[in-house]
Amino acid sequence: MNALEVKNLVKRFDGVHAVDHLSLAIEQGRVTAFVGPNGSGKTTLMHLLSGVFAFDGGQVSIDNVALSNIAPNDIATLGITRTFQSVRLFNQMSVLDNILVVLTERGVWASLFERHTQFHLEKAKEVLEFVGLWDKRAENVDGLSYGQRKLLEIARVLTMNSQIILLDEPFAGLFPEVVKKVRGAVLHLREQGKTVVLIEHNMQLIRELADHVYVLDSGKLLAEGKPEHVLSERKVIEAYLGE
Amino acid sequence: MSIVPQLIVNSLIAAGLYALLAIGFNLIYSTTKFFDLGYGAMTAVGGYGAFLFFSKLGLPMYLALPAGVLIAGIVGFVVYKLVYAPLRARHASNMVLLVASLGVLTMLQATIAMLFSSQFQPLGVADGGTLLIAGAAITHVQVGVIATAILLMLALGLLLKHTMFGKAVRAIGDNEEVSQIVGINTNRVIGHVFFIGSAIGGLAGILWGLDTGIEPTMGLSLLLKAVIAAIIGGVGNVYAGVLGALVLGFAENFGIWKISGEWKDAIAFGILILFLVFRPQGLIKTK
Amino acid sequence: MPYLEHILTLAGIYAILGMSLNLLVGYTGLLSVSHAAFNGVGAYVVAILLTQAGWSFFPAVLVAILLSMAVALLIGLVLGKFRDDYYALASLGFGVIAVAVFRNWSSLTRGPLGIPGIPRPEIFGFTFSSNLSFLIFTVVATVLVYLLCRFIIRSSFGRVLQAIRDDELATQVFGYNSYYFKLTIFVISAGLAAIAGGLLASYLTYIDPGTFVLLDAIFIIAAIILGGLANLNGSVLGAIILILLPEALRFVGFPSEVAAQMRQFVFGLMLVLLMLYRPQGLVGKYKL
Repeated sequence: MNALEVKNLVKRFDGVHAVDHLSLAIEQGRVTAFVGPNGSGKTTLMHLLSGVFAFDGGQVSIDNVALSNIAPNDIATLGITRTFQSVRLFNQMSVLDNILVVLTERGVWASLFERHTQFHLEKAKEVLEFVGLWDKRAENVDGLSYGQRKLLEIARVLTMNSQIILLDEPFAGLFPEVVKKVRGAVLHLREQGKTVVLIEHNMQLIRELADHVYVLDSGKLLAEGKPEHVLSERKVIEAYLGE
Repeated sequence: MSIVPQLIVNSLIAAGLYALLAIGFNLIYSTTKFFDLGYGAMTAVGGYGAFLFFSKLGLPMYLALPAGVLIAGIVGFVVYKLVYAPLRARHASNMVLLVASLGVLTMLQATIAMLFSSQFQPLGVADGGTLLIAGAAITHVQVGVIATAILLMLALGLLLKHTMFGKAVRAIGDNEEVSQIVGINTNRVIGHVFFIGSAIGGLAGILWGLDTGIEPTMGLSLLLKAVIAAIIGGVGNVYAGVLGALVLGFAENFGIWKISGEWKDAIAFGILILFLVFRPQGLIKTK
Repeated sequence: MPYLEHILTLAGIYAILGMSLNLLVGYTGLLSVSHAAFNGVGAYVVAILLTQAGWSFFPAVLVAILLSMAVALLIGLVLGKFRDDYYALASLGFGVIAVAVFRNWSSLTRGPLGIPGIPRPEIFGFTFSSNLSFLIFTVVATVLVYLLCRFIIRSSFGRVLQAIRDDELATQVFGYNSYYFKLTIFVISAGLAAIAGGLLASYLTYIDPGTFVLLDAIFIIAAIILGGLANLNGSVLGAIILILLPEALRFVGFPSEVAAQMRQFVFGLMLVLLMLYRPQGLVGKYKL
């Protein structure tokens, strides 16, 4: 069963195709990895799937509901959540507030008359303890280290409890201890039966975590399949080594 | 109706002034990409600089005017060095730069008011000569405004296209980081840009002063016209600003034909908002 | 000391204005320079209803708040499409248009002549005609507004505003319609500014379009940045400094005319120094 289907998706920038009539499917409950050289369209694809960019053509089907466009504030109801390659946290707020804001009411009036409760605090504690940031809950995010910020982003998506989780280079630039924690999170999500979409460059992690790999190049699908096969294909290696 | 030629002439005069203002503003914006509100004060600095040399120090007009322009350029340069350059060095956001420029505008305006009194006063002695062209009256000064605008546009065009400096300015406007990598001393070039842009602003202020008069708060309204003309044309594009100035000049003058002249500012801002909503990149797209 | 009463009353009114603007600038990250428009709408509505229609103060203020919020709704719908410096620019445009309306809709506002003879508030037969009584009235109003603002900030809504300020796209991705939140706080803020306007009109007993020009909007922004963004106490502090400064200058010996310019100079200088060295202001929790 497919959690997500992409049909002929197109995204152009100044005449250049960042995503070029791409079609693929993301199987439910599996970890699907996207690899490819820089500029191959992986992050653009993720932006399209999360409403950050508008489609220039094509469709995305989520749970068999076809959409020709996605608005960012709709993806939560569609069951999608994500992290960002550039780490987009609420920098001048505390660690705890970064999680609480994802737990509380989304409606304008509902949120106006709501104060966060013990329930919210407990949920926040759960995810923050999982990533090891509960002790730092009162600290402002701009005082955290890079690794801690990436972990906070992970905690944030865990809080959402969404069905589909998009992770854009969650392991980039991390020390081994932190990599372990993020890997733990991905495995945890798979255990829960969630669908994880992962952009990653680290081949070892991909071999370990991914059930299926898509290789993109210049906005098109270059290869796909099980990690061991795909990553040793000649054309994939050539694409990475550049033109 | 015989008022139309006059309206056209008035529109052209206004357009000429706004074009000068927009050119200076766009020059600065094209390199630094933030709305320098302090630019407004440069018009007053120029106007009062000329006033200082002419009325207080007794210099003849033909010396006092360039002196005023020079002072505006210098002040603009100094402000860049003291305020904007340090902020940009630490990658301050556009909002921070905007607020800082607001502070600069306010400070300069207040300083001028304290040094010269807040009264509205004429700049120099108008020669009072008026020409009659196709049924419309236009003073010598006003002809000067239009002529200066055209000359400056041409001069700047030559500067930007055919000099190393001009190429550097355009390169920085395109991509500052890359410009630094290829060896352009962006800090120095931008400093020069501020000097030239502020000088142009000062020139506009002087011409406005000769035509109407000067007062410490003149900077704000002139600045706003500059911004509006720039945005209508396409902000950051030096020539587009001239087009924007034409649109603004005509819209304002024909707009108040049937309604009271008091609504001029409101019309200008109404056009601004329309453009911001429907065509924020302006009439001429810059990239 | 009647003079002290005067400046404290003004400080209270400007504290209300400052707090309402801080909700927008400090908590939501919207650099709005159009606040004078709502202040003005509040003042003019109260002035007109009190002098020309014989209304009593409290119902007039209520209408002023509602009207200001209605205008804010319209302006906010347009403004919501902009970001950052374009937002500031567009809001400036609306501010200028508002003053032009005050100045030119003479049949309603008496244009540049202004509206004199605005009576003081009256309740159950008691009129707040003495400066002391009006001061107490103002202090009560300021405290109420403070509590309201604090209620907003401590709610989940307040947290969302700050998230929008820090990264609007991220809040959208996590399920928030940031547009509605921004519009709502803009409208609320305008309503509060109208309260300040109504108080101002009744206290000064005379208003004209010059009371609401751009320069004053700049002063208020300077005051809240100085006091500290995203901190209500900062806005009160900023307002006090804003009002006290020219008085202090006058005390030191500067003649009245120069004192006004000095205040302008000091505020301009302050903005520059704050941006360079202390963007969070005195007690602020947010750095611009």
